Amino acid sequence: MGRTSIKNKLILSFLLLLLIVMVVVGVVNRMANDFYLAQAISTALALVSGIVFGSIFSRSLVRRLNNLSNAARKISTGDLRGQIPLLSKDEVRDLEEMFTMMLDDLRALISAMKNVFSQIQGTNASFTELIKEVLANSQEIDQSAMAIIKCSEEQALIVQKTSLRLDNGLTQMDEMVRQSAETVSKISEAIVRTEKGEENARETLNHLENVLNQMVEYVQPIYSLAQKVEKVKVVVNIIDGIAQKTDLLSLNASIEATRSGELGKGFALVADEIRTMAENSKHSSQQIEKMVEGILQDNKAVMESLEKSQAGINKGREIIHGIVETFGEMLSGVKDIYAEVKEIEEVTSAQVNQIRGLLSHFQELSQLAHKNVVFTQKTNIATKKQEEDMKEIANAMKSLNTLSENMMDTQRRFRLPAE
Amino acid sequence: MKWFTFEAAGEYLAIEARHIYRVIDEVKPTPVPLVPSCHMGMIYYRGELFDVIEVGVLLGQKRTTSKKNPLIILLRWGHKRLALVPDKITGLIWIEDTREKQTAYTQGEYTFRLLTPDEIWKTLSEL
Repeated sequence: MGRTSIKNKLILSFLLLLLIVMVVVGVVNRMANDFYLAQAISTALALVSGIVFGSIFSRSLVRRLNNLSNAARKISTGDLRGQIPLLSKDEVRDLEEMFTMMLDDLRALISAMKNVFSQIQGTNASFTELIKEVLANSQEIDQSAMAIIKCSEEQALIVQKTSLRLDNGLTQMDEMVRQSAETVSKISEAIVRTEKGEENARETLNHLENVLNQMVEYVQPIYSLAQKVEKVKVVVNIIDGIAQKTDLLSLNASIEATRSGELGKGFALVADEIRTMAENSKHSSQQIEKMVEGILQDNKAVMESLEKSQAGINKGREIIHGIVETFGEMLSGVKDIYAEVKEIEEVTSAQVNQIRGLLSHFQELSQLAHKNVVFTQKTNIATKKQEEDMKEIANAMKSLNTLSENMMDTQRRFRLPAE
Repeated sequence: MKWFTFEAAGEYLAIEARHIYRVIDEVKPTPVPLVPSCHMGMIYYRGELFDVIEVGVLLGQKRTTSKKNPLIILLRWGHKRLALVPDKITGLIWIEDTREKQTAYTQGEYTFRLLTPDEIWKTLSEL
């Protein structure tokens, strides 16, 4: 069907009305004789026809406009369920179609808005949860940052203290290295002196051996003298025995002479003389024996002294042997100590170098700890700022949520056909 | 008159030399049981037996140690025989005729107690 505009409709309607009026006027004029009457009747009929026709036409138009108006009123109340009937193909039809398109677009828009609001609300809820989590995380980060700051400060303090102690330790170790070097030097001197001492002890031992050998040589005649004196003593004992026997014999001779009376007087004199000689001999032999005893005692004393000296020399030799061995052990021990102290010196020097490196690292660590404190403080500030920002975001989200809810409330006013 | 002198128990003793039969040594007395402590035993000398008496013990001195190779004075008077063991024999001295019952004689710084064999015998028999 082709499209008919309202103007054409009006023209056609007017023409139709005019035709009808003309027909009516013609009929009236034919039937009526009176002109005026005929005119009046024609006019009246024309007016009636015009009114009826106009009413019908305007009613048709007004009804469609009212439909649009009602639809617009419903839309204004949010009711989007209505449908605009498409009755004709005039300009109102365009309006109705546009209105219907607008209504469809509005529905799609509302529906899309609803989806968007739903998504916004979902996103808002997720975002709120995320913000809460972020806030919680920020607080944790903040607490962690505070703990890190505290720990970093403590760490920096510990590092400083450790550095100080290491520095002190380094000073002491330097002193130790210096003392070790001195000790090494002194031990070297001690080695030289110990070697000298060992050499002296060996020389002393050799001298002592010579003295001992000489003493053995010296002692030999004394032993021979003692043996000879012993022989003299035996001889003296024999002489003493002979003297005793002579004495006894002369005594008995004197006794016999005495018993012989006057005849034995001469013999008695001889016997007395013999006895006197025997007594003298006995006395002499006793004196000799005493002298021999004295010599023997002196000899014994000398021998004891020599034995003591020999024992002392032997002991001295043992002691000097011991001293030589001790010097050897000392030398060995001092050399061992020298090697160990040297090793300690080297190890200590290496340790000093290592501690210097460690101290340098500790100083770097201290600087890092300071930087760490600064960065952590910055992190803390940033975290606080982030927290504030997040709070602002949360507030914004709350506002957005409120806005979204308001929009949802607004959107709820629209009722779609499916609802 | 000659007197034979000897020392025992710290005293100087003297016996008439005519009673002295012999002075011997290197003779060991044979011990005899159940006799006084001063009795050192018996010796046999040239067919005769002699009782050996330690004079010091007889005079009241305690026996300390047995004497090694002592000199033994053999007495023989009448039919009696006795052997005396002194601490030391000093020898023979000449004493002018002594008065009766003279018991001591002094010569120089020494004082000798004069004994007779019978006195010794009596002292021994009273034990």
